[in-house]
Order: sequence, then structure tokens, then C-alpha cells
Amino acid sequence: MSRWGYLVKRIALSIPVLFSAITFLFLMLRLGPLDPVSARLGEQASGADVTRLREQMGLNDPLWKQYLDFMRDLLTFSGESWVVQANRPITDIVAQVAPTTIWLGFWAILLPLFIGIPLGFYAGLNPNSKSDYVASVSSILWLSMPNFWLAVMALAFLRKTKGGGVLGFDWYALGPDISGITGTPGLDFLTLTNVFGVPLPTAMDWMAFLTDFKLILPASLILGSASMATEMRIGRTAVLETVNSNYVETAKAKGLKSRAIVWKHIFRNALIPLVPVITNEAFILIGGSVIIEYIFNINGLGSLYFRALVAADIPLAGALLFMFTLLIISLNLLQDFLYTIIDPRVGYDR
Amino acid sequence: MLAALGGTASVSLAGCSALLSDDGDEDDGGDGGDGTDGESYADKAQAAWERIQSNPGPDAQDLRNEAYVEIEEAVRDDMIMLNFLHDFSERFWYDYVDVPKIGPLGQAHQQLHTVELEGETELNRINSTHNHIDPVESDDEASSTIITQVYERLVEYPNGVPEIQNQLLDDFELSDDNLTYTFHLKEGVPFHTGGEMTAHDVKYSWRRVIESENSVRANFMLDSPDGVGIVHEEDDEGNPVPDSAALEVIDDYTLEMEVRDPNPAVMDVLTYTAFSVIPEGLVGDIEGYDGEVGRQEFRTSMSAGTGPFELDEFAIDEELRLTRFDDYHRDTASVESVHFEIVEDDEARYTYAMEKNADIFPIPTQYYDPNKIDAETDDMGRESGTYGELENGETVNYLGLPELVTRYFGFNARNVPKPVRQAIAYVTDQEEIVNQVFAGRGVPAYSFTPPGIWPTGQDGYEKFVEEYPYSANETDIEGAKQVLEEAGYTSDDPYELTCTTYESVVYQEAAGLLRDKLSGNGVEIELDQAQFATLQQRGYDGDLEMYSLGWGWSWESVAYGHFGFEPKNTDTSGMPGDNNGYYLDWHVELSENDE
Repeated sequence: MSRWGYLVKRIALSIPVLFSAITFLFLMLRLGPLDPVSARLGEQASGADVTRLREQMGLNDPLWKQYLDFMRDLLTFSGESWVVQANRPITDIVAQVAPTTIWLGFWAILLPLFIGIPLGFYAGLNPNSKSDYVASVSSILWLSMPNFWLAVMALAFLRKTKGGGVLGFDWYALGPDISGITGTPGLDFLTLTNVFGVPLPTAMDWMAFLTDFKLILPASLILGSASMATEMRIGRTAVLETVNSNYVETAKAKGLKSRAIVWKHIFRNALIPLVPVITNEAFILIGGSVIIEYIFNINGLGSLYFRALVAADIPLAGALLFMFTLLIISLNLLQDFLYTIIDPRVGYDR
Repeated sequence: MLAALGGTASVSLAGCSALLSDDGDEDDGGDGGDGTDGESYADKAQAAWERIQSNPGPDAQDLRNEAYVEIEEAVRDDMIMLNFLHDFSERFWYDYVDVPKIGPLGQAHQQLHTVELEGETELNRINSTHNHIDPVESDDEASSTIITQVYERLVEYPNGVPEIQNQLLDDFELSDDNLTYTFHLKEGVPFHTGGEMTAHDVKYSWRRVIESENSVRANFMLDSPDGVGIVHEEDDEGNPVPDSAALEVIDDYTLEMEVRDPNPAVMDVLTYTAFSVIPEGLVGDIEGYDGEVGRQEFRTSMSAGTGPFELDEFAIDEELRLTRFDDYHRDTASVESVHFEIVEDDEARYTYAMEKNADIFPIPTQYYDPNKIDAETDDMGRESGTYGELENGETVNYLGLPELVTRYFGFNARNVPKPVRQAIAYVTDQEEIVNQVFAGRGVPAYSFTPPGIWPTGQDGYEKFVEEYPYSANETDIEGAKQVLEEAGYTSDDPYELTCTTYESVVYQEAAGLLRDKLSGNGVEIELDQAQFATLQQRGYDGDLEMYSLGWGWSWESVAYGHFGFEPKNTDTSGMPGDNNGYYLDWHVELSENDE
């Protein structure tokens, strides 16, 4: 079977997965203890209002009809929020907050890559040295500190630096000035102009970009902290394995400079086991962003999802979960696809 | 902070459903007699309520006040409801802010045009999430806070102090039969959108309260005594007929309204945010109007009120900014704008306040230290002074005050015998609950009606508290044992209940305290939790035994809490349709229902 055939097969296999996910979501949300009507009307709801609203939300229809409506709204992206932003199309709500979460997620993936992998490689190239121990121990520490605790500590620590404070540095005045460490980044550093009907970025406000970066930095570092540690540990192991492999011995025997050996051979091959690690981090980010966004008061998908669940906003929570499901399935597909490229042995023809 | 607006019973209840033993050992709990001529406490409450209803005139105020106290006494002596806490709200503000003190109805009533800032033009505050600023949809504190700045009613409680003042009203007359109100509106009041406020606008706005499918407060207009009780027609399904409510525009500045029964609280009800005035025909959600703007636009991106501030921008779940309305009909605001950062998480709120990004702010319990308060009590029972020093080195202004919110355990008379109810009251230590469970941020309660609106004043309240018969503020296990023994419940043969609290840690803890004290002394309480909706349903079904809830007063009226005690109105078999009392089934103790 060809590589493409394999991919098509994988896509086809993910369709039943998607449908069972939708069914499961429906059952969880609809049969769980959530009550959108009392969330919407408050506790002094009068009987007539409750009846009217239940009718309006379609909660009096037979369950199979509700299920079909739920599925239709998800697949066509056409639902409306019930409670959190009552009667507003979900696509609008998501479009409004998604950029913030993408901004957070982007840095939460990128920063650990640039910190964790170099550290891991460094530790792998200098095994059992003092610096290796420091790096390994600190990565275990990072792994074991929960995100919500780190977030609360970061807030407490950073706000005390205001005006110089305890440690002699003022986070608020470092680089671009910010007035608060919580809140949603503006994300308006790009000027989009329509060129022949296509919006293209034509100008870049670097100061605004830096401000947004500074705002998101603590949150994304904490969100990526666990990944950073994992990448470091896997990177270290991978480097150690390749260093002791035959082709490195051969390269050494040929008299290659050690710099060339590290960059050309060790580095490239050590990256292979890191691919699934990096894609798997993306799943963790989805869950992690909920608590991080809530504590840092960032208005993104994570906090929206949290509010939707607390307020029993079934269509909104369902749509967001459906999005997360789609994302995870497509990331899995991407991972498989990358494997077929990296490793020709992967496929269904054994 | 739990909002307790719109009479929203605060989010807190504990239902307890009886585990009726299968061995036929059922106590009907109907022994409510107090030993005098066979009249039960329920009879006393029923008679008092009927006296209140039949004497609605302004001259019968003293008579009504006595009847209110009788209801409180009946509730207490029969222990049909165990009240243990009134909410205590606190606010903190930096020195450069000059803001009037708020009263017990809460900060959502405070219009901010009287706030003055030193060296700043924008007032910064923190708010909770809300997704609209439509007056008729509002039932939470966050949106009310904004609506108060943008829209106005005929009458208001200035700064939440329970003394009615005119807002858009000049004066009003009440007919001799106490049924017809003639409102004379203030002339020359401009809307943000241009044009002048007239009686047509008021009628339209009030019709929206009744008829709009988006209104969550129609009952405040239709019901009585927990509302205005306006004369109107209903169709076969019991829904109000469009434009049938008795509101008549006499001329541009005169509006007549007719109510079904004399109701001393009408003007108080009209202070509620839902009765805010918007220009006639602005939104097309009632019959006869197509609407000039879409509903979404009205709720989230415009303001068309008469208030001191207009909406500038509203990013839902992020922030909201109001700017000064220069043509405001009273004193124009001293600040140019007000900014509300929308923050839910305590850590983020505290950080935001410590950065001095908020000028007026709350302090979450984990950062709160009662020893930092240096305050004196004023004539309204408010503690005002300073708090500090904060972690950022500042000492800030402090105001703490009891709010018109009561938290209680209610009992279903059908399911819980009176001695058991009294035993639970004996072991209740109000101060312990306040300090241990609520971190000291509450006021011990001995009555349902808070001291701030006690019908016979502060002295009357103190007298009532002195007479509290169940060992206030101490755990009186002996007293409990005694009443239980007389009724035949002992540690060997205890009375069993399952106590279902609402999903809230504090209520679980409060109920847990009572459970631990009574365990082994004749009453075994089992704790259970339920979602609010589930609990409400069990209340309607009469399945609860002991349950806990909160009640918040949206306006200053004892009747607005007491209507729920009328024994006939507590009959759960008539809920949710005919009766809207507390889930007490107290009617079973009326003499007429004695078997």
C-alpha cells in the first residue's frame, strides 16, 4: 500500500471516532447534572418562564431529536450559545477569543522548544557532569510543580516587583511598560490591508508586539513548563543513544570534527523521537489553557470553555469540545503523516 | 460575592430529605401547639399575614409592623426555619478616591457620578462576567451595576441606602382606595440617543418587563405582594395579554397605573433595575413595535438611557468602559469615564487591585486579615475606617456592612417533627458558623428579616434577639437532648434525616457542624449534595426535610420576604404554579388541617 493510500485509510478510520465522540459528548452534557434553564433565569425563576425557555431551547423535544439537532449544529458550526453569551452564534464567540488562545499556545509550544531541547542536548553531550545533574534535577522539579500553583506564585512574585520591590528589578518597567500582569493581550500589532480583496499584513507595530509578548510570557512559560521538562529529558536520552551508535563511531574514525558530528549526525537523528513528544504536548495545552487562562484572566477558549461548563451552556461547551476533538484527531493524523515521511517502514503493509 | 439581586435566592441551599423509617414510626410533626387555646404557631403566622394583607393603608404601618414581628416570632418559636447568617459585604478603596458610603441594598445601586478622583480622570473597577446590559434581562449583580450607571428608574435607593428618592419622577399621587398611582415625571430629561423622556417611554419600558420574551422579571410587575401586582388580563394559558396592563398615558409627563390590591411596597419595587426607562420602540420584542435596533445591538453595544454615563465599549468577558454623559439631567459626573475590568479569578482580582489598576476593589478571603481593619461603627451599623497595610505598602479605606441577605436552614413541617427542629436550633452556634465557616465575613442571624429593615427598628430587633430561646451563639447540647428526650428520641433510638446541601463548600461545612454535634444525641443527620435545579424540584415535590437557602431583598420591604411564610403559601402541593412560598409545608400545622 502506498503512503497516500495509508493516509486516506487513516482519515476514513477517524470518522467513526468522531461520531462516537459526538455521541459521548451529547450524553455527558445532556444527561449530566447541568441545568441551563436555572443558570439563565436565576433561582427565583417563575414556572411560566421556565416552561417558555425550555421550549425555546428545545429541551422538551424527544431525546433523539435533540441528539440530531446537536449533531447538525456541531457539524455545520451553526449553534447558538444558551447562557454565557445568550443567543449569539458560537462561531462569532469562538472567532473572537480563539486568536488569544492561539497566541498563548504558540508561545507555550515554541518557548519550551527553544529552552528544553538545547538544554537536553547539552546535558546529553555532557553526561554525568555537574551541569547535567543541575539540568536533570531542575527539569524534574519543573515537571512536579502543578501549573495552577506556579501561576498563583508567578502572580504573587511579579506583582511584588512593582516599583523596584524586593529583588531590585521591576517587571512592569522591563522592556515595554505594562500596567498589569493579568488580562487579555490586545493582538492588534498587525495592520491588515486588503490587497485585491485579500487581507494581507502590511505593517507591524513592534512595540505592541513586544507588549503582547510580555503579557503572555509568564502564562505561556508556565503552560509549557511541563513540556519543557519532558523535552529536555527525552532530548538527553536521544542524544545519549545516538552518541553511542555505530555511525557516530565511524564518523569519529573518519576524523570528522566533533562540531560537524554533533550538528550533522547526532542532532538530526536525536530529533526523531521528539516528534511525538511535541505533538502530544499540544493535547496537554488544551487542558492546561483552561486553568492558566482563568488565573491570568485571559479571555480565550480555555476560560470560555470553563464558563460554558459552569453555566451549563450545553451547545457552547459541546461545540468547544467538538473543536478540541477535531484538533486532537487531526494532530494524530499529522503525527502519523510525519512518521510515514520520517520512517518509511510505517504503513499497513506488513 | 454572591449577588442577591432580583430576589434571587442566593446560591446556597441545603435540602434534607427525611429517611422515613419503614417501621411505621412516623411522626407527623403536626404538634405545633403552643399550649394556648389550641392555636398553633402556624395559625398565628397565617392570622398575622392576613392582617397585613387586609390593612394595606399608609396609616396602618404600625399594625403591619407588629404583625411582621408576630410572623418572625412564630417562625422562631416553631423553629420552622433556622436563620444563621446575614451577608456582610466589604469594599476597599485607595486614598485618592472619594466615594459615598453604600447602604445595605448593595453597591449595584450606586450611581458613580458622585465619585471624585484626585489626579485621575478615569475610575477603575472590577466586575464579574455578564453578557448584556438590557434592564429586563438582568438578574445578577454584575449587569445591574452597569445598568444603574446607564439607565434610570422613576425612583431609586441612592447608594443602596434604603430611603427612596426620585430619579425620573417629580412626584406621585395615590388614590384614596390605594389602587391608582398617578406619576408626574420630571420634565426635560434627555436620552443618550437624543430626545426627551416622556410617559410613552415609561409605558413602553414597563410593558417590556411584562411582555418581552427576554424579560426574567415579569413577576415583579404581575405578582403581589412580591411585586407591583398590576391589573392585567391573561389568556387561556395564563400568559399576560399584550398591552393589557393598566398603564395609561395621560399626557407627556403623566402616567397612571392601577394595581389589583393595595400594596405599600409598590414604590420600593419600582426601584428595581428592570423598571429602567428606554426610548419607546427601541427594541421590537413586544407587540406593536418593530424595533429601531436589533436585540443584540441593544444588549451589548449601545446605551439609550438617561443615566450619568453612556456605554463606550463593551468587550464581553474582558472589559467595559463608560463615558460621561454631558447632558445628564442631574449633576454631571466628575470623572470622565469609568472602566470595569472583568475578572473572575480571586488571584487575578487581587493582583489587579495590588497593581493599583482598580481604585475600588474586593479582597479575596485568602488574602484577608480581619486584624488589619481599623474601623468604627456608624449609626447604620456600617463599619467604616481603614484597612492596611496591604502588600503593596498602602493603607486603604474600608467599609463593611451587613447586606439584606439571609442564609438559613428551612424545615419541611410534614417531614421533621418540631422537637427535632428545636434540637438543631439548640446546637447551632451562629458565631461559630460565621467565624469558622465564613472566615468572619458574615453577621450572625437570629431572625429572617435582617436588622437593617427590622419593622420595629433597632430597639425592636434587640428585644427580639434577647428573647431568642435556643441558646444563641452556643452549642447547647443539653437543651437539645432535653427536647429530644421528651419526644422520645434518644441515642439508642435516634431520629434520622438526610441533609442535602446545595453544591457549596460553606453549606456543607455548616451542616456538618450541626451533624457532628447532634450525632449520638438523638438525631443522626446524613449529608448529601444536589444541584440547585434538582433541589428546587425536590422542594416543589415536598421531598425536602431540612434544606438551606439564602434570600436576598431587592427592595426594602419586609413583606418581600414574609410572603413566603404564609402557611397556606408554603403548601408544596401547589408549587410551582399557585404557591411561591418557602418549601415548608407549614400548612399542615394549621388547626383547620388537624386530623
